[in-house]
Amino acid sequence: MTRDLSSGVSRRKFLLTSSAVGAAGLAGCTQNNDGGSSGGSGGSGGSDDSDDSDSTATGQPLSGTINIAGSSTVFPLSTALGEIFQEDNPEVNINVQSTGSGGGFANFFCVGDTDFNNASRPIKPEEEEQCSSNGVEPVELTVATDALTVIVNNDNDWATELTVDQLADLWSAETQPQQWSDVNSDWPDQDIELFGPSDASGTYDYFIESVLGEEGPGHRQDYSGTEQDRTIVQGVEGSEYAIGYLGFAYYTENSDRVQAVAIDDGDGPVEPSLETARTGEYTPLSRPLFTYPKVSALSEDHIAEYARFFVENTTNQDLVAGDVGYVPLTDDQQAEQMSTLEDAIERAND
Amino acid sequence: MATEDRTIDGFGQVSRTVGTVFRYLLLAATLIGIVALVILLLFVANDAIQPLTADPGWHLTFFATLVVPTLAVGGYLASRNQSAAAVGVGTIGLAVVTTMFAGGLSLIFVDIVDSITWAAAVLTLAVPTAAVVAIARVSNRSPLELLAVAVILYYVSLFGVPGPLRSVVGTGQLLPGVGSVVASIPVLPVDWMLLFATFTLPVAVVVRYYARQLVDDRTATAIVAVGLVAVAIAATAAPTAGITPVPATVLASVVLLPTMTYVTTTALSRPHDRVGLALPGAVFGGSLLGAVAVRTLGYAGPQAWVDWQFLTSAHSRNAIDAGLYPAIGGSILLMLTVAVLSFPLGVGAAIYLEEYAPDNKLTRLIDVNISNLAGVPSVVYGLLGLGVFVRYFGQPSGTVLVGGATLALLILPIVIISSREAIRSVPNELRQASYGMGATRWQTVKNVILPRSFSGVLTGTILALGRAIGETAPLIMIGAPDVLFSLPADLSSKVSAMPLQVFAWSSLYATPEFYQRAVPAGVVVLVSVLLSMNSVAIVLRNKFE
Amino acid sequence: MGTDDISAELTRNTKNAPPELLTRVFFFICAALSVVTTASIVVLLVSEAAKFFSVTAPLVGFAGETVSMVDFLTGTTWQVGSGEYGVLALVSATILITVGAGVISIPLGVATAIYLSEYASTRARSILKPALEVLAGIPTVVYGFFALIYITPAIQTLLPDTGTFNLAAASTVVGIMIIPMVASISEDAMSAVPDELKQAGYGMGATKFDVSTGIVVPAALSGIFSSFILALSRAIGETMAVTVAAGSQANFLPPWDPTSYLEGALPMTAAMIQLLLSDITGGGLAYRSLFAIGLTLFVLTLTMNIISDVITQRYREEY
Repeated sequence: MTRDLSSGVSRRKFLLTSSAVGAAGLAGCTQNNDGGSSGGSGGSGGSDDSDDSDSTATGQPLSGTINIAGSSTVFPLSTALGEIFQEDNPEVNINVQSTGSGGGFANFFCVGDTDFNNASRPIKPEEEEQCSSNGVEPVELTVATDALTVIVNNDNDWATELTVDQLADLWSAETQPQQWSDVNSDWPDQDIELFGPSDASGTYDYFIESVLGEEGPGHRQDYSGTEQDRTIVQGVEGSEYAIGYLGFAYYTENSDRVQAVAIDDGDGPVEPSLETARTGEYTPLSRPLFTYPKVSALSEDHIAEYARFFVENTTNQDLVAGDVGYVPLTDDQQAEQMSTLEDAIERAND
Repeated sequence: MATEDRTIDGFGQVSRTVGTVFRYLLLAATLIGIVALVILLLFVANDAIQPLTADPGWHLTFFATLVVPTLAVGGYLASRNQSAAAVGVGTIGLAVVTTMFAGGLSLIFVDIVDSITWAAAVLTLAVPTAAVVAIARVSNRSPLELLAVAVILYYVSLFGVPGPLRSVVGTGQLLPGVGSVVASIPVLPVDWMLLFATFTLPVAVVVRYYARQLVDDRTATAIVAVGLVAVAIAATAAPTAGITPVPATVLASVVLLPTMTYVTTTALSRPHDRVGLALPGAVFGGSLLGAVAVRTLGYAGPQAWVDWQFLTSAHSRNAIDAGLYPAIGGSILLMLTVAVLSFPLGVGAAIYLEEYAPDNKLTRLIDVNISNLAGVPSVVYGLLGLGVFVRYFGQPSGTVLVGGATLALLILPIVIISSREAIRSVPNELRQASYGMGATRWQTVKNVILPRSFSGVLTGTILALGRAIGETAPLIMIGAPDVLFSLPADLSSKVSAMPLQVFAWSSLYATPEFYQRAVPAGVVVLVSVLLSMNSVAIVLRNKFE
Repeated sequence: MGTDDISAELTRNTKNAPPELLTRVFFFICAALSVVTTASIVVLLVSEAAKFFSVTAPLVGFAGETVSMVDFLTGTTWQVGSGEYGVLALVSATILITVGAGVISIPLGVATAIYLSEYASTRARSILKPALEVLAGIPTVVYGFFALIYITPAIQTLLPDTGTFNLAAASTVVGIMIIPMVASISEDAMSAVPDELKQAGYGMGATKFDVSTGIVVPAALSGIFSSFILALSRAIGETMAVTVAAGSQANFLPPWDPTSYLEGALPMTAAMIQLLLSDITGGGLAYRSLFAIGLTLFVLTLTMNIISDVITQRYREEY
């Protein structure tokens, strides 16, 4: 059974109109194929409204991938810088992974998988060996300073200044004092509540190295250890007889909830601040943070530019201190790092 | 005397209290977990969407234009005409789910694959396929010859003559492959037209296949043709609404075309249930009306953390600016890789075990093996990926390929087990009937078993893919980056995924801003994707059971 | 003569015809892939863990830092920074979480199974079963987040001594997560109980309660028991929920002490994640300990799966 076309349009008319429409459409609807663009029309991964996009010597915009791994302490700084760099250079793909300093060296950087390794401590000799046996040459760049801060409750008026020895006593695994008065008889007869980073953290490692000493008593284990700094702040804020230590970044964000202890390393008590950490007055608890690019990667333009961008911003107070919470370098330190970097880039391009 | 006169006053009443108490205890126990999860999800949704920050006027407007009409229509339908209510709910569900998938697909076409490359790829595969099918129909070749011809045609189409073998043959490139031909044509149709031809038309064919089951052929073709016209109109008119043509085409093809077809075919084939379409009308019309009303009346909506900016921007150190875009793209690419890898392998293994395997020790070993693999923790699969793919095969860590392969291995046992269930549920009589007609085993599998068990297999695969989307531990183990600023461009780019990004935010950026803003928003997006996948699977299973 | 020739003509041995052979080989390869996967897991874990233990390192020709197997298996301190690798600290945390999850999921799961198989109407079943599947489909990271943000404060209001990272919240969410597994496997076992037994019970005047608890559950007991074991092995292998919620400090907490739940600890799976992510020194030994823990975990879950299989096979009531 045939159905009648109740729309009443004859076949010829239909063909004519459709071909006319098609021709008109095609006339206005073609594009020139210039070999195809990569990645398609604009995504919204950030707007390129600034004029800072760098380019290679030939004037082409920078493009490529940068693989970064390493310390979780340097991770926030690395991602903040990566974010800004990528806004200006949308063709550069930056990815950052937090693996820990040691894990980053052993499993990613020294086997050639990543271009940068962030580290919260200098590279070790065995790691350098592993790298060189795989043809990876690291370049040590200091990127910021972290000032490890000891915090006590706001109502604590007896321990606002501590010597390094007193600090070591409080946290020593050998003596493990239970009450404040066990360390200093002038202090109250109350139990000490201790908060700190877990033993998987670089901050923990650094505390042992700088306060307790590698050969000294170990770090006591009967404290509340946590990966999350906010828990340390919460714990110390909640109890009058609590003491804790954590990285500078988190302290600055919560400086009204807890108070920082001034540390006396023999030259009088020094409170942690941007200035004291930058000038090195705040010892021994200020540690440098590093990033290690590999020389072979620096021969690529986008990686070299990124490394320069990184070193340029090490004195950017708004970014390093304000946004991330570490202590920026001084201008002298930055100049030193920049010349190390430029040397390495030259070596790479030879 | 022999008989005694004894009156028995019935059997007495058996106490029902224990039974009733037990029944309600059981019901309570069943509901505890579900209610707990619902409460937790409400908490998270509240944190992410912040409904309480909206003006009271906003709430009132939407209450009047959306909630009241929907409840009225819904109540009426539920009490009078259940199947119409099902149609209405089905339409709404179809629209919502297809929108979500369309969002993901448009992400791919906007940022990962450009239309010319896509068109070239489709043509590269379509041309030899059509040629092989034509040869098979026209001439009478044996399967081996057909296979050889097919291999040659695919090779020529992909690589040209002589392609990668040119170093062996010694001559230069004589003929380019189809892909390069397309890429070198100086003037091509506009992007959206290419997409229309290579994406929308295949979708239309599939939609027409399903429409034919409800109405007759000519009507189905007519309906789909109207749908195609609608897609074309949407693509050309979209710039006026602020959407570029490419995502508009994808959206229209995936959302408009199927929904319109569903609505029209249902209205035509089930006239009693047409009134059910009032429900989606109430919902969508009410939302539109409400949106216009709040804009004219000037009420502020909720300051939700899940907004367009969250879905389309990359990670940032400021929680307010942080977004999930690269993670969403990464998840989609991973899912595609996992589906491509695990579906054929899983279904193939299930077919072997159910149809071909003899009942000997080897088969039992494989059986036990698979059920053990299903219970291995996901971290161990991550270790497998790390040890074998990254270290042994030397692949770069954290790429789409390695991540997809690891996740595919993870869900392979699940796919196999659920496919086996589906294949087992095909009645044996059908198999025997097919064998009785002289069909070979492969013919039986191809013509009888696969079509009948397809829906069960699909359901199981979708559920398994849902599991793979939510897995984090294997990705961490193979070295996927925690923060990625741009979408992965191909199989060997580093990839992030939604759960990995949420985990990174909650552990590496553990500040209150991230906890209260970015993490709940990420959780809500992740859970929505999973719920929609689960609901698709459940609907499929119910429909074809 | 005639029929034999005809039937000889009509008979074709298609078993090795190209399409048949090809498809059979392809499907066999797919199925064999699973064996290859298990073999690779075993080979990888054993060979890498062999480089970790002092007794086996010389056998594989590895010269580097190693740890004695006795120390590993009996040590109660896990501190990678100071070179302590006692796995019991991790195992105790895993046991605590598994037991806690079991306490929540086993009663609730069995109750759900009884309700679904005996009491629920078809309509209720069609709503509850998908709801349970959704419960099982939520990603584990989300469960960990729930534990940390919503459940821990709730516990802290009741028991103020609870730490921010505690095992109670972690085991609660793991328990909720595995309820669907217990429920669905137990329900399958209960549905397999033949109707005749139930009808016989009803015929004797038993109530539904009597039939459910006195006939169905005992008849399905092997299936129910195997569901416990499978669910517990899933709880052992649960990674992300416990990583987010249970903490990162490895403490050896006595598993028999209920107050251990208020503290944080490091289960095996979370320790593996931590080894890959944290700022620890010594990439070599710590990296190899990853495989040692992985081997322990794999052996544990494999053993439990095998036990569950054996129980199902041996004690299943054949009707």
